[in-house]
Amino acid sequence: MKRKTPVYMAAMLVLVLALVITGCAGNNGGNTPSNTSNPGTNSGNEGGNEEQPLDKVTFTYFNGAGAAKDINTNETTIGKILEDQTGVNFKIENLVGDLNTKIGTMNASRKYPDVLIPDAAIDDVLGADGFIDLTDLIEEHGPNIKKAYGNDLERIKSADGKIYFLPMSAQVGEFLPDPNINQGAFWIQRRVLKEAGYPQIKTIDEYFQLIRDYVNNHPEEDLTGFISLTHDWRFFATTNPPMHLAGYPNDGEVIVDMETFDAKVYAGNEDTKRYLKILNELNAEGLFDKASFIDNYDQYLAKLSSGKVLGMFDYGWQIANAQNVLRDAAKADPSQDDFVYFPLPITFDGEKDQYLDPPGFVKNRGIGITISAQDPARIIQYFDNLLKEENQILRSWGIEGETFEIDENGRYYRTAEQIAKIDEAFRESFGFKYYDWNWPIYGANSTFSNGNAVSPGMQAEVFQLGLTEADKTILDAYGVKTYAEMFAAPDDRPWFPAWGIPKEQGSPEQIYETKKTEITRKYFPKLVLEDPSKFESNWEEYISEFNKLDTAGYEAFMTAEVKKLVEEAK
Amino acid sequence: MERVEVPKVVQHPKKSSNKLVHFFKTCIRQHALLTMTIPFLIWLFIFKYLPIWGWTIAFQNYRPSKSFAEQEWVGFQHFAFLFEDDRFLRVLRNTLAMSGINLVLGFVTAILLALLLNEVRVVVFKRLVQTISYLPHFISWVVAAGIVQQTLSPEGIINDLLLRAGIIKESVLFLGVGEYFWGIFGASTVWKDVGWNTIVYLAAMTMIDPAQYEAAEIDGAGRFQRMWHITLPGIKSVIVVLLIMNIGYLLESGFEPQYLLGNGMNVDYSENIDIFVLKYGIAQGNFSLSIAAGMFKTVVSFILLFAANNIAKRLGEARLY
Amino acid sequence: MRTNFSKSDKIFDYVNYALLTMLMIVTLYPFLNTLAISFNDAKDSIRGGIYLWPREWSLDNYKYVLSEKSIYNATIISILRTVIGTVVTVFCSAMVAYAISRQDFILRKFVTIAFILTMYINGGLIPNFLLIRDLNLLDSFWVYILPGLIGVFNLIIIRSFIDGLPESILESARIDGAGDYRTFFSIVLPLCVPVLATVALFSGVFQWNSWFDVFLYNSSTIELSTLQYELQKILQNSNASMTQRTAGDVFAGGGLQNQGTVTPTAIRATMTIVASVPIIMVYPFLQKYFVKGMMVGGVKG
Repeated sequence: MKRKTPVYMAAMLVLVLALVITGCAGNNGGNTPSNTSNPGTNSGNEGGNEEQPLDKVTFTYFNGAGAAKDINTNETTIGKILEDQTGVNFKIENLVGDLNTKIGTMNASRKYPDVLIPDAAIDDVLGADGFIDLTDLIEEHGPNIKKAYGNDLERIKSADGKIYFLPMSAQVGEFLPDPNINQGAFWIQRRVLKEAGYPQIKTIDEYFQLIRDYVNNHPEEDLTGFISLTHDWRFFATTNPPMHLAGYPNDGEVIVDMETFDAKVYAGNEDTKRYLKILNELNAEGLFDKASFIDNYDQYLAKLSSGKVLGMFDYGWQIANAQNVLRDAAKADPSQDDFVYFPLPITFDGEKDQYLDPPGFVKNRGIGITISAQDPARIIQYFDNLLKEENQILRSWGIEGETFEIDENGRYYRTAEQIAKIDEAFRESFGFKYYDWNWPIYGANSTFSNGNAVSPGMQAEVFQLGLTEADKTILDAYGVKTYAEMFAAPDDRPWFPAWGIPKEQGSPEQIYETKKTEITRKYFPKLVLEDPSKFESNWEEYISEFNKLDTAGYEAFMTAEVKKLVEEAK
Repeated sequence: MERVEVPKVVQHPKKSSNKLVHFFKTCIRQHALLTMTIPFLIWLFIFKYLPIWGWTIAFQNYRPSKSFAEQEWVGFQHFAFLFEDDRFLRVLRNTLAMSGINLVLGFVTAILLALLLNEVRVVVFKRLVQTISYLPHFISWVVAAGIVQQTLSPEGIINDLLLRAGIIKESVLFLGVGEYFWGIFGASTVWKDVGWNTIVYLAAMTMIDPAQYEAAEIDGAGRFQRMWHITLPGIKSVIVVLLIMNIGYLLESGFEPQYLLGNGMNVDYSENIDIFVLKYGIAQGNFSLSIAAGMFKTVVSFILLFAANNIAKRLGEARLY
Repeated sequence: MRTNFSKSDKIFDYVNYALLTMLMIVTLYPFLNTLAISFNDAKDSIRGGIYLWPREWSLDNYKYVLSEKSIYNATIISILRTVIGTVVTVFCSAMVAYAISRQDFILRKFVTIAFILTMYINGGLIPNFLLIRDLNLLDSFWVYILPGLIGVFNLIIIRSFIDGLPESILESARIDGAGDYRTFFSIVLPLCVPVLATVALFSGVFQWNSWFDVFLYNSSTIELSTLQYELQKILQNSNASMTQRTAGDVFAGGGLQNQGTVTPTAIRATMTIVASVPIIMVYPFLQKYFVKGMMVGGVKG
């Protein structure tokens, strides 16, 4: 009987040992900066103005917006150069999984990475006092930070007058609009415009008449007139159009009056009703794809790239995949250009459109230094160094002769070979991808002091170089040089984007938004798909449900916040 | 030829005044069994029972950064939020309906498949069916839901077949009709997990003495009779025990398929408790609501478990405890 | 073997084979479909309409996934946690199962209920996290093993098998003077091979597929990352390479630069194949333990 006991005892012993081992091993995990002192390696520094000792140090950096691979910044070309300048390397970890859970465990255990981008959970970190005050650090070490952010530093101050995080990007220099439409637009297949002789289309009725005519002229093709994206969180592509049609930019749930600065929810107003009624009639005519309300994102993209769908409203970045497929096909076979989508600035009655994003900055996102950081000064110096103009050129354009060229007029451009070279793998190894967004940087629409665009994509020469013959034809037909020129210039809106106004997690405002989305998700399909004779009664039903929400309270909150921002901007 | 299973009678030691002495004597006699279990009881206490202090979170406006003493206590506010919502009853109904469907359909199909497999004489074929039928278990719900959506779309194969057969005149938006949702959900779940769920029954069938089948055959029992009188009773105790455990999980209908297949048109039938908690708890960083919902489920689970176990006991079947 | 082939028997066989073949077709489809998408050019897949066979063959998806160096160490960790975790949990569960199957065991009911209750109780995420931190298990391999030392589901399954063993066998062992340890090791364990194989499969698959514990406890220790977690990262990365996540995150560096050649859909298909093929292959090997009547035969021998 005792014979077998040792086996069991051995098993238990292993377990006990395991516990002991982990007990010891667990202590060295953590986020104390690991100083590897080998001063011999950083010899190649040209700028000799570093006062701080250049002992190498690695800081941990957690990105809750999770966008790329986990790396050490010094494994990239850009990161290596920056390390040579500052001696600082960042070990980047990206979020995989649920943000609130991860940030919640950090807050609960008070164990943070040195640098943290909490994305949408920034409020929790602030509430947990997870960030340190940057005001004095910026004063002492941040001349370039002050220069780049300017007045934004005032606007980002929290109620106690301290700066806890830096917004992701600073608008520097002249504002350059994106020549491509990555934001909202009513899109239409180019063949439809071509067949109609490139008419000026401004109103929603003209837009749908164009589609109606084309479908009627080509009954044999089994075409879909219009489609709408509704899948999961992308549902806003179906709820936002009334806002744009009424002539407002993407402020999220509200439209903000330009004179009174009152923020009004539009989900239950006449604009929304009008848009849905139009879709309802379209559906009755058989021009609307009923499956819009059940298709997932993949199915939606597949339909767009099939060439059978004439138009839709969407944001450029959501249809990029399908557009790329269509563009590639058009490059191989110019006749396929017919199926590429062209953006139009449609409004209800031809009023001035406001599809293009005005300059703005997102107040509820940012990057901060946590209470776990041992040496915040080195981090803020790194940020400051990164915001030097030459380093912004480096992180955005790269190295002259390698990833970009400068012509006789001092304009930056890329050769065809360079463009071809910079694929996804190169963007990773060079580091463009890692310095694209999640740092204090010059914003995408910024310009350098020498007039060049900060983002290569915004540089007119680079944009022109990428146009095909067919692209030029259609742009010429409308007398514009870029897609953006189709649209009206954005008016100045200091609160933009209103969806970036911070709302506390679990607050009535957040719950309002969730409930509003639920109700619209449930009623919109009914309103669009059922017989036109039922539209009014369905609308009544929807509104009675919608009125149960505290819309007035939400609007009051948003209006107050908007007005605050307007005041700050003065 | 029924397999005789003597219900095990628990021999409780007669209660007497020297209960304690008797207890210690038994302990000494059973020291081996005690060493087999006590370390794991300690483990159980540390890993499973200690964290239950977290239930207090349900009564707070919990902020992870604050210490226990600093938390704001709000009583039953989060429970009220849960129960007072207009949708609560509907969400509860959907949860129960879908897990009920899962329970019945899941058990019936898995047992049926096990029985059918048990009748296959060609070993290679049997193993092939086993292996292939368990493949969908390894496909994540995201991928599986994509396939379901594809299949049920207006251009999908189901609509195509029905149109050709003349059963319908125009394509049906299957996922757009709320009333169909539970059926689609049930079918998808069975499709994904029937092979996987069968494994445990196949293992149970190895316990059946082959001599029983031989004897039955000599007695002239047919295929169905053998299934009914030998195979099924042979795995009955496993079935009952699994059934009781799963009845305890009746409020856990999962959320992935419902979330992925759900849309505005079928939301009245697809939204369950977990999705509700996901939207208003997890997505809003509201840990308290999640825990309140968890506690509610635990209480219901205990009641169901207790009831199911008692019924099994009354019926003289195997039971959980 | 069977002695007579009656007509109804034959019909039953035909129907049975037909049914099972249909089941195979239906259940094989998702896997073949995933396989086809994984071998199809990612951009082409956006068009949809890939069913059983790739339209434009491409190995790019696999290149993209397999070129990620971190997955190789992660695979080793995955194998380690699967093997160690499975062996430990099967052994521990079986031992406790044996104890609580003994009708006369003084703590039987207490232990059984103590375990069963935990199936339906959860203290919540944060308390569990703090516990793991206080036990010094953060950033350690053992966090994969210790919290799952015993699976209650497995425990109960094993117990019902042991309950089903003929009483006579255990009785005779006791008469032979075998103690509980000996009975457990030399009689119960060998007799329970089919159920142990089942439980091993369950916990093996569970261990192999887990990534939430990596996310919670070990996410900053790349050396302890697992295959599933690394694949999740790759998926996330492919997501971000095409479109920025939230509104307002315009293509900051976008413009003309080539966007990725991968899509989340293609990568998801590829990672499904990469992650599932190794664990799927385990099952056919375990099937030999599911031979009918094996156990009882073993007892008789």
